[in-house]
Amino acid sequence: MVENRPWLSFLTHLVLIAGVVVVVFPVYLAFVASTHGSGDFMRGLVPLLPGPHLVENYGRMLTEGISTAGAPPLWIMLMNSLAIAIIIAVGKIAISLLSAYAIVFFKFPFRMLAFWIIFITLMLPVEVRIIPTFAVVANLGLLNSYVGLTLPLIASATATFLFRQFFLTVPDELMEAARVDGAGPMKFFRDILLPLSRTNIAALFVILFIYGWVQYLWPLLVTTDSRYYTVVMGIKRLAATADAEPLWNLVMASVILAMLPPVLVVIFMQRLFVKGLVDTEK
Amino acid sequence: MATIDLIDLKKNYGNVPAVKGVNLRVADGELIVLVGPSGCGKSTLLRMVAGLETVSEGRIEIGGRDVVKAEPAERDIAMVFQNYALYPHMTVRGNLEYGLKNRGTPRAEIDRRVQEAADILEIGALLDRKPRQLSGGQRQRVAMGRAIVREPAAFLFDEPLSNLDAKLRVQMRVEIRKLQRRLKTTSLYVTHDQLEAMTLADRLVVMNGGLVEQIGTPTEVYDRPATVFVAGFIGSPPMNLIPVSSLSGAPAALPRNTDIIGIRPDALFLDPQGGDAIALAGKVELLEPIGGESHLHVRLDSSGQSVVLSVPGRPDIAEGSAVTLHARLADIHPYNAQTGRRTDETVANL
Repeated sequence: MVENRPWLSFLTHLVLIAGVVVVVFPVYLAFVASTHGSGDFMRGLVPLLPGPHLVENYGRMLTEGISTAGAPPLWIMLMNSLAIAIIIAVGKIAISLLSAYAIVFFKFPFRMLAFWIIFITLMLPVEVRIIPTFAVVANLGLLNSYVGLTLPLIASATATFLFRQFFLTVPDELMEAARVDGAGPMKFFRDILLPLSRTNIAALFVILFIYGWVQYLWPLLVTTDSRYYTVVMGIKRLAATADAEPLWNLVMASVILAMLPPVLVVIFMQRLFVKGLVDTEK
Repeated sequence: MATIDLIDLKKNYGNVPAVKGVNLRVADGELIVLVGPSGCGKSTLLRMVAGLETVSEGRIEIGGRDVVKAEPAERDIAMVFQNYALYPHMTVRGNLEYGLKNRGTPRAEIDRRVQEAADILEIGALLDRKPRQLSGGQRQRVAMGRAIVREPAAFLFDEPLSNLDAKLRVQMRVEIRKLQRRLKTTSLYVTHDQLEAMTLADRLVVMNGGLVEQIGTPTEVYDRPATVFVAGFIGSPPMNLIPVSSLSGAPAALPRNTDIIGIRPDALFLDPQGGDAIALAGKVELLEPIGGESHLHVRLDSSGQSVVLSVPGRPDIAEGSAVTLHARLADIHPYNAQTGRRTDETVANL
């Protein structure tokens, strides 16, 4: 639709800009805060321009952390978060690709039952099943471990469901042609299905990476050893100090650092991400 | 190069029979067309030969070897699918090579065969493109190419032209015929388009309800349809099938047990033809000029049945006027309604 109405363009842009401001301003404020000294935010006058302590604040967070808050240096938490987000994303994609492949392309007894059982788990996110899940993980001795942090989050059906929907759109003839061409089930999966799912995998990776990165409740429950803290839950510990003002400048520096990886993932995978959501290569 | 033998081949889906016992021998280098209405089992039959459907009963032999339990890849066949089924993420070259690579064909041999197929089909310039960058006709060629490079014992075509527009379809039909003549590869070809069937086939297999109605060359099938079904299915507009009981004064010359007669639209005339003949009185319902000839829909006075005749040119007849139709006895196909078969001969049993 091509229309030339200056007022309409002006208005739509105004709304968009307003939206951007609403979203960006708090982030900007966090950034500003992270560049000031420790007391600057407590004076009643919030500074709106960056201060001189940027390198100092970020350096301190990354290397030492705030020892009084019981949190390790930020880089450990960042690494933990990164590891967990990647394990969750890769694990979920691998498992759901295989299970969706089985459900769609193979005929076995109770196939639909299997699908529905998987599908029903969609209704039970971690928060709902958190007590039994915690009990299981604790009894298995998986507290304070990467397995305990990731396994319960990997086991869910979102991605399986999405891949199933995608596989259903792949014409049967493609598989039949591959069979005539001498490709067995795994070869068909590797040579044809995987390349076709490439954009879907990328889109899911972005979604799942962020899903893993922002996990708060579960890491909070299963980690007591600070070596396994993730950054999102770590921030909470930084802000909760007993007898003193929180060191807002340092907390905000952590916030900014915690925001970076998801933003980078989105920026670098944006092209594939959008492609995966809007078109399929058929 | 091989023969294909189907022996008492049956296929049931649960309790529903789809193919009810088919015997057929495809000679070496022959192109056989399976034709019939939707749901007649022709595609199922082809897919059983390809190994994409299991066989409920009976045997399939390709080149004398029983292949019922063999995987599609082990049967030495190549298949061309209706929607081409090209691998969308591979280039044309990748599509052609894939089957050969899976078989561990040496690189030099692969290159030689791909080049050869590309030359035959004139798709050399397209080798590095992806399927989505090709037109329908080009995709069709690539699908054919994928079959050719394999140098299989047999080609199986599953309605390969039905996704093309009318003009391209005619063109590709001619090309498939030429190609098959040139390569002399045994071929089974499934279609519901009778024009395609008539023009392509060395022999036609007309199927209905999971059974073979007639096997013969296209002219045999057209000139002497073995059953009422074939009579009504092959030919356009279809043959008029008139119950003998509705004729006023049935001619004594009809063979015994004849209760349906078939007359092709071009064997009905408005003028008396001389010799032994029958005459049918009726009213013109509709006149359809279709260019070089016209189709005249006439409702018979005796039974109220509507028959079609095709007459050359554009006859000067008003709709609603009374006419008498004449047909030579020699042009009449006599059938028995009970058996559905011809009554003027014992057709060599299928």
